[in-house]
Amino acid sequence: MDQLPAGACRLRRFAAWIAPLAAVSALALPGIASAQSGAKTAVEAAKKICAGKTITIVWEAGLQSLDPLNFSGPMWEKETGCKIKVVEVPTAEMFTKIMQEYRSGTGAYDALNVIPAWMPDLVQAGALEQLDTLVDKYGYRGELQKIAPIFRDNWMKVNNKIYGFPDDGDVFIMYYRKDVFARADLKKDFQAKYGYELAAPKTWKQFEEIGSFLTEKLKRDGMYGASFFREPPYTLFMFEERFRNEGGRFFDAATMKATINNPTGVRVFTEMRDENKFMPPGVEKFGFVENLATFVKGESAMTISWPPYGRFAAGYLANEKALDWVPKSTIADKVGYALPPGGHPELAAGFSLSVASTSKQKEAAYLFIQWLNSEEISALRVRLPYTLRDPFRDSHYTDPVYLKLWPDAKDYLAALKAASLSGLLDLSLIQTDKYEEAMRQGISRLWAGEDPKSILDDVAKQWDEVTAKVGVEKQKAVYTEWAAKSGGYPK
Amino acid sequence: MSTLAIPRAGFAQRHFNYLLVGPAILLLLLIGIFPLVYLLIVSFQGITMTDNSSDFIGADNYRALFADARLWQALLHTAIFTAISLPIELALGLAMALLFLDRMPGRAIFVALLLLPVVVSPIVSGATWSLMFDHRFGPINQIIGWLHGAELTLLWTISPHLVYPAIIVAEIWQWTPFMFLLLLAALGNVDRSQLEAAQIDGAGWWRTFHRIVLPAIRPVMTIAILIRGLDLFRLFDIVWALTKGGPGTMTETISIFTYVKGFQQFETSYTAAVALLVIVLLSALLMLALRRVELAR
Repeated sequence: MDQLPAGACRLRRFAAWIAPLAAVSALALPGIASAQSGAKTAVEAAKKICAGKTITIVWEAGLQSLDPLNFSGPMWEKETGCKIKVVEVPTAEMFTKIMQEYRSGTGAYDALNVIPAWMPDLVQAGALEQLDTLVDKYGYRGELQKIAPIFRDNWMKVNNKIYGFPDDGDVFIMYYRKDVFARADLKKDFQAKYGYELAAPKTWKQFEEIGSFLTEKLKRDGMYGASFFREPPYTLFMFEERFRNEGGRFFDAATMKATINNPTGVRVFTEMRDENKFMPPGVEKFGFVENLATFVKGESAMTISWPPYGRFAAGYLANEKALDWVPKSTIADKVGYALPPGGHPELAAGFSLSVASTSKQKEAAYLFIQWLNSEEISALRVRLPYTLRDPFRDSHYTDPVYLKLWPDAKDYLAALKAASLSGLLDLSLIQTDKYEEAMRQGISRLWAGEDPKSILDDVAKQWDEVTAKVGVEKQKAVYTEWAAKSGGYPK
Repeated sequence: MSTLAIPRAGFAQRHFNYLLVGPAILLLLLIGIFPLVYLLIVSFQGITMTDNSSDFIGADNYRALFADARLWQALLHTAIFTAISLPIELALGLAMALLFLDRMPGRAIFVALLLLPVVVSPIVSGATWSLMFDHRFGPINQIIGWLHGAELTLLWTISPHLVYPAIIVAEIWQWTPFMFLLLLAALGNVDRSQLEAAQIDGAGWWRTFHRIVLPAIRPVMTIAILIRGLDLFRLFDIVWALTKGGPGTMTETISIFTYVKGFQQFETSYTAAVALLVIVLLSALLMLALRRVELAR
């Protein structure tokens, strides 16, 4: 491996370090390391049918794919003799690539990373392999049951059949500066002005008051009350979350007419636009990295994002070569974790592992994703500092190794678990992307200064057109099923 | 009187030349025409990549196309970009060519440097300009801030008043050198004796340019305008990198619209209809332009 760059060697050394550690922790958890474990079963079977072969898996490009490239792929090959080829695809193109390959029918992909909201479309098209038979053959139902209920019950099945294994506990949580919120002078002034204690906001009204107050007090020191990623694809998730927390419904359940342009939607849109005034200038252009940089450099007191922000802010293994691009955290040990205002965070995006229906080695591909997703191996993968994979099994939230990764890790995991218990699913219908695209365009118009009501009227009209094209009754059936799920609307 | 009987040439001999070029023409027709025919067929079907149906649906896609306001807006945006960028690129390119026509120290180096933007891939150019216009790190906002005397946050790729200027600046920066190069070559071939004669006759600069230079470079200039006009009609990369067609669909060009419909929304047959519409429109415009400048004869 002389040709490997220094970074890769370091990652391998990290893998070699963490593997025995994990093995010890796995032994400490009853049952996990038994001969019947999903990981062990998959390895034994793969040795027989996959040794010498290559499994091709589609993975999100960038940090995510360092998992199969540097960690799980080499580990699987060592245990089974089965090679892993990773096809890196940017998130925005994953659906397209998967569909194109399916239509061409070449069998170029064996296993897939799939955003759960796409599942109805992919299943309807026939691109995903139904996994129930293989799950039963390899006795994996038990371990699937141990996936956190919100993911297990919502990200695994279409029409009550298994098409993917939930594999990434994506959820938005709020990160706030404990030290700022604990400052006596700020607490006193805030109490005097608003009549309640300065703390992580529980409602969006509180968020607006706290954010504008902190900006007013701290702007001269280079800190804003809050910053968010505001690029439309991210804001889409935030709108979906907030709209439902405020009591909004996407559709009239009887007629399937879009209702996002109701007073709740207009109010949410208006408030989102107005909040930008106490955020850093140009926040409308903030993406994942810009917002992360703002927060970890200590330039904002609150933000909402996916779980990796917590690890990056804590400086967890920040010296990893793969994390060179992440701005060094100046706020380690100063970050508090809370549910976003409203208390029902968005389970934004996420990933499930699936098998491509056109694969020529479906069983081998299945065994690989079972092994990846198993209690034993997933515990290692969600601890990797560089891959953006987040806890998604009940055992991950109480993993004794994880709890000690940094001083506040226990609070972090507690927040993630709480978020998973009350999280809201992304809207998932037939041709979801068309609804999302209309809303993304609406959000970009919002940042351009257009009137919230007229934007949402336009978006609602486009949604109605998509629904009519799909078929009102057909879409209604899908929506009704989605809305009835535990994460459809706040219960 | 005997006559020599001249043997009648066989079919193969009489049409030998056609037989020679026939396979090549057939191949070219297959390559050139087949995709168009296939596109036409697909445009009458109901193919979407998320559905398994490929039934023929008559002219539904064309009916939808004429009722699709977003499509016509995209065509309008494309026309606006073309109408503004093309004359500016031509004028600037011509001015630069006239400037660099005379020998001067370091001319070759300057010309090479001026041509660099053309070498850059359009998507890279778009990404570069995205950084240039960045509200925090971009030099443009900084310079405007210095001139203004206070820090400014101009959101070039979000504000409705700034997106068009931003895209057009990037487009002109990249493609003016192309005009410059062609026009410089054309100007270099203008008959010197005519210019000298005009000078001796006391013709002024404008008269000389209008009567001698312009007619001499017109064929090359026409080709340059046609090439750039067609390029601008296909404008994609720079807009995609800067705004992705936003805010909303405010800067969506016909190429971006087609891409979104075809590769993000998987409306395969509808996209085929759009593509055919664009082909027909472009062909008509091209024929008109060629006829007008008498190049088609």
